[in-house]
Amino acid sequence: MIKLLGKIRRTGRVAEPASPPPPLSCPKAARLAGSVQLRHVDAGSCNGCEIEIGSAFGPVHDAERYGARLVASPRHADAVLATGPVTRNLAEPLRRTVAALPEPAIVVAVGDCAINQGEFAEAYGVVGAVGDVVPVDVTVPGCPPPPEAIVAALRGLTGR
Amino acid sequence: MNILGWGLTAAVALAGLGTLAALVAPERVRPMLAGAATAGVGGAGLAAGVAAVAGVGYHARLPWLLPLFGVELVLDPLGGLFVAVAGGVSLVAAVYGIGYAARGHGNQSRSTQAVLPLFVLTLLLVPAAGSVSTLLVTWELMALTSLVLVLTDHRARPRVTHAGLWYAVMTHLGFVAILAGLVAFAAAAGGDTFEALRAARLSPALAAVVFGAALVGFGSKAGLVPLHVWLPRAHPEAPSQVSAMLSAAMVNLGVYGVVRVGLDLLGGGPAGWWLVVLGLGAASALYGILHAAMASDLKRLLAYSTVENMGLVFLAVGVAGLFHAHGEERLAAVALAAGLLHVVNHAGFKTVLFLTAGSVLRATGGRDLNALGGLSRRMPVTTGLFAFGALGAMALPPGNGFVSEWLLLQSLVHPPAGTGVVTAVVLPLAVAVVALTAGLAMATFVKALGVGFFARPRSHVPERAVESPPLMLAAVGVAAAACAGLAVAPTALGPALSRVTGDTLDVAPAVVGGALTVRLAGIASTISPVLILVALVAAVALTALLAQVVARRPARRRDAPLWDCGAGPPTPRMQYTATSFAEPLQRVFADVLAPETTVDTQHASPYLLARMRYQRRLPDRIEYWLYRPVLVAVNALSRSARALANGSVHRYLAYGFFGSIALLVALVVIP
Repeated sequence: MIKLLGKIRRTGRVAEPASPPPPLSCPKAARLAGSVQLRHVDAGSCNGCEIEIGSAFGPVHDAERYGARLVASPRHADAVLATGPVTRNLAEPLRRTVAALPEPAIVVAVGDCAINQGEFAEAYGVVGAVGDVVPVDVTVPGCPPPPEAIVAALRGLTGR
Repeated sequence: MNILGWGLTAAVALAGLGTLAALVAPERVRPMLAGAATAGVGGAGLAAGVAAVAGVGYHARLPWLLPLFGVELVLDPLGGLFVAVAGGVSLVAAVYGIGYAARGHGNQSRSTQAVLPLFVLTLLLVPAAGSVSTLLVTWELMALTSLVLVLTDHRARPRVTHAGLWYAVMTHLGFVAILAGLVAFAAAAGGDTFEALRAARLSPALAAVVFGAALVGFGSKAGLVPLHVWLPRAHPEAPSQVSAMLSAAMVNLGVYGVVRVGLDLLGGGPAGWWLVVLGLGAASALYGILHAAMASDLKRLLAYSTVENMGLVFLAVGVAGLFHAHGEERLAAVALAAGLLHVVNHAGFKTVLFLTAGSVLRATGGRDLNALGGLSRRMPVTTGLFAFGALGAMALPPGNGFVSEWLLLQSLVHPPAGTGVVTAVVLPLAVAVVALTAGLAMATFVKALGVGFFARPRSHVPERAVESPPLMLAAVGVAAAACAGLAVAPTALGPALSRVTGDTLDVAPAVVGGALTVRLAGIASTISPVLILVALVAAVALTALLAQVVARRPARRRDAPLWDCGAGPPTPRMQYTATSFAEPLQRVFADVLAPETTVDTQHASPYLLARMRYQRRLPDRIEYWLYRPVLVAVNALSRSARALANGSVHRYLAYGFFGSIALLVALVVIP
């Protein structure tokens, strides 16, 4: 315990300095007033985007200080963070997850696969991009998108 | 001959008529005739018991009925209470049984229907016995008739035979203990009647032996740990109305015996006796409710709950004896009143519970909670009645069990000064036991009600269930109404309880008094079940009103499907089962329960699993550690004894010859 506290004291803050807040990127997000709860759905990703999302919420990029937070159920969430090309098995769960969101339901497509199926386009098990299954509001391009891009997109929703 | 005499005569006559009718009547009308006669016997017993509790005395001597000793019948308030309880339970259960056996359900066999009125009669005669010989004869008749009833379904299910064997052995071992104890008592007292026994002055050692034997014998009938092993086997296997009679009326007679012999005939005794009673009661209460919480068989659950409640009653009796030994008569009377009130309350709610369990069994053909569920829609009245009974068993305020457990706790939390270190240590522990028992009872009956009656059907078994016929519902309804009466107005029993405790312990009457509020002698606490009920009803009404007001506010509502993690709607298989509901408790009490789990895995290849089988068993640990070695030893002994009898006539003649020689030598040597 003492060792841990000492380590915390020695390490200090490692978060990147915050840049000035961006304007809102999605008109629906105005009602959320700077606090956006996110439910992440892996619709068939290679897990590259997951690593970057994890990094975006890690101590260095720390997206939570801008008001974005990952939660465990769409019933608690304002937005869905969808990654990967939508596979056959996950198409219906993705639809249900978005349907379970309270209004205004925002969908963020993270990564090239979520935007345009990426390198999995027209593969056997793939239904389409996220936009083919549910309406998408915000996109984060990149394969995988760097954490800075994910944080920037989320700040566009929180406005902080 | 007064009203008690007429009541008992009517009971005997009706029992004889019922048996005769069941023997000669055709199968179609047999349950009706026998049931009506049984109900009549119960009704006569109820009337006689109530009159006896009200203070009418009765004493009859029938010297011609039994050779050597004759029959002696005495009804005092203590016996009257138990006669009234047995009569009331039997009345309701017999009427229920008429409906239960109708249209091809239940058992219409000649033996069962003919024995039923006789069994109820013995239930009434045991507490009315006024001498040792009468008590022993009626006790043995009760054991035999109940054994026949337990064995009713032995052709359909082999487990019944097994249960019957356990019951027969245990009840007769108990009988031997009672016989030995009471005969030694009577021999020392020089008389057979209870009056002679009361007047006798026994040496402390003999008194302790008599009390110990009586505790073993009567305790085994009441399902006291570790003599309880027959109870959770035999009670569930009997037909449901008989289960109710066994669990709500017959086990009480174990309490009666200990109170009669220990407090009345022996007049108390040292504190050590009662500490043993208290400890056994506490152990039974905990062990019983723990196994009830684990059980997934509805009737087995109820049987274990009987062990628990009898444990609580014995705890109360033990506390009463303890206070009595220390000269604290008023507190002793309160504790005894708590125990006896719990006997009455337990009889009420256990009748309701066993009869509704019987309705479920009749409607679905099953009593495994893991296969039930969804009965609240198909059998709403039965569900409501079971819920009410469960409320009593949980000892929550609108139920009737609450008042007696409150009374018991009151007698425990007001220890008098100057009763020694042991009492000061034991009483708080007893409070903890009662509290833990109440908590576990809550979990048990939430499980029974929630898994068995609510939610969705877990199998196709409950899907075809239909509500019971009106006669059965009416019978259970009467029992439930009696429970409600006991819950709201326990003070109505106040004078009766005061008379019983006053008569047994020789203290001034008015132990429990008050009109709407229960007041206790010597304890400042009071309670008003009526006001609690009013407050509860008001709180529910207020909540409902508030919900109405809130719901009326205009709100934008969107109907959405249930969130199911996106995987599709949950199936009935995903519901909690009785086993999974009890699993956390099983983990907590794993040291006591010692569950056996086996996981069998079959591999298709080193990497792939072909099949996996999980099995969990919860054997009764007391049975395993205490009874199995005895059974194994008896088996080995009987097998080795077989060598003695090898079929040779010469050998048998030699046994006889040498036996006689040995006897003659012994007679010559011993002066």
